[in-house]
Amino acid sequence: MRETYASRLPGMNLAELPGKLIVIEGTDGVGRSTQIRLLRPWLEQQGRAVLDTAIKRSELAGKGIQQAKEGHTLGRLTLSLFYATDFADRLEHEIVPALRAGFVVLTDRYIYSLMARAIVRGADPRWIRNVYGFALKPDATFYLRIGVDDLIPRVVFSRGFDYWESGVDIHPSEDMYDSFRKYQSELLAEFERLAREYNFEVIDATPDVRTVFEHLRAGVARVLSGEPREPLFALPIAPPEPLEAAAKKVLEMPAAAKPAPVSEEPTPAPQALAKAAEGEANR
Amino acid sequence: MKRYGEHRFPGKLFVVEGIDGSGKSTQLALLHQWLQSEGYGVVFSEWNSSPLVRETTKRGKKKQTLTPSTFSLIHATDFADRMEHNILPLLKAGAVVLCDRYIYTAFGRDVVRGMDPQWVRELYSFAVKPTAAFYFRVPLDVAMKRILDGRTGVKYYEAGMDLGLSEDAEESFGIFQGRILDEYEKMVPEFDLTTVDATLPIEDQQTTMRQIVKAKLAQAKRLRVAP
Repeated sequence: MRETYASRLPGMNLAELPGKLIVIEGTDGVGRSTQIRLLRPWLEQQGRAVLDTAIKRSELAGKGIQQAKEGHTLGRLTLSLFYATDFADRLEHEIVPALRAGFVVLTDRYIYSLMARAIVRGADPRWIRNVYGFALKPDATFYLRIGVDDLIPRVVFSRGFDYWESGVDIHPSEDMYDSFRKYQSELLAEFERLAREYNFEVIDATPDVRTVFEHLRAGVARVLSGEPREPLFALPIAPPEPLEAAAKKVLEMPAAAKPAPVSEEPTPAPQALAKAAEGEANR
Repeated sequence: MKRYGEHRFPGKLFVVEGIDGSGKSTQLALLHQWLQSEGYGVVFSEWNSSPLVRETTKRGKKKQTLTPSTFSLIHATDFADRMEHNILPLLKAGAVVLCDRYIYTAFGRDVVRGMDPQWVRELYSFAVKPTAAFYFRVPLDVAMKRILDGRTGVKYYEAGMDLGLSEDAEESFGIFQGRILDEYEKMVPEFDLTTVDATLPIEDQQTTMRQIVKAKLAQAKRLRVAP
């Protein structure tokens, strides 16, 4: 019998949900969706039916959230509750039916990211835990861990700084770099607290895509086989560098001279990625 | 994040509650008129009226995909938006804010839909505690007659059709409203709601309401904006 964290939703039968609920967590730009694109075809090759789902993908609220975020009037509690609506809709209309049908549900972020964002924006931790009290406990949560110093070059040299990912709504007076650094540091600190509280399985997200995928795949294989969890490989993160030093580091980074460590491009696993794209097209 | 009962503002917040057909909106409109004529800066805010979530709510209602949880959360989102952008800043600025329905409406409806009572209460714990919350108490049959006489039909969610209480919309509506009435009665002592007998003549109810509001505004003369 599956469990929720606290309250139960009316009409939700928690018995007979034989599927597996696997959460991939981690901050913005850490490579969660790249990993899910690799995991999905790998699971399907083994004959597993997979549902992948992510924040804002609900039929009900996805569009509304997108529109609201484009405006400038979205309050902090309002945003949190809008996300909760999106989550509840996906839980009831996608996740639970898929689990009932025996699918492996791969979820790109779960309640933890939503809780971390809300708490960093000043929500009462007790309040946001209550909001998500009806969430199902997953079979495993893999947390892709990265320090802010490794995250910054990754974001800068791929898609650049984004308004919400930089927390400009809460650190508006600074430039995107400062906002991003400050906001993501707060977010990562909150993730560390959540990792302990909710017993995340931590995966070091600093190596190349292939290495991260191998670790993740081993973890997922273990969950699916029903084997007990191995002791955590805890990876302490170095305390953040002083701002100036870090800024210098990024500025001085000549694109060619860098050890090209942080690319999320498909080079390490082109075949699997091509398959993932194919799978996407076929859906 | 300040919680229910912890806010301190110069403004005042008055809310009306009661089942459909209790006459609360009529009373609030009369109060609004009177406060304006007395020179107060008055602002009105209605349940489920935030433009931010309107499309989402509409989509869920139209396609009938709202469940008790999403019904509850989308209304909480609507309320949060009005709280953050309307009610809170106005109270800080010293306005008299009038709300047609407040968090108690959610407590009634969501609990009848099967949501956990404590969960819903905690969900809305960011709400400002009203200066006074008027509950218009009315027997079910009186309210039903008022509503159904002037109308051709009741909407799906309004009638609680999602609960599967009855195939017949009017019958479902009656059962649903009856259950909400029971929830309101539980809330009267819990939230210290000011009960108004909604079967009395409209003028009598309004007199009672104005007396109570006047007493609450007595120490707040500076809220007056007009000469």
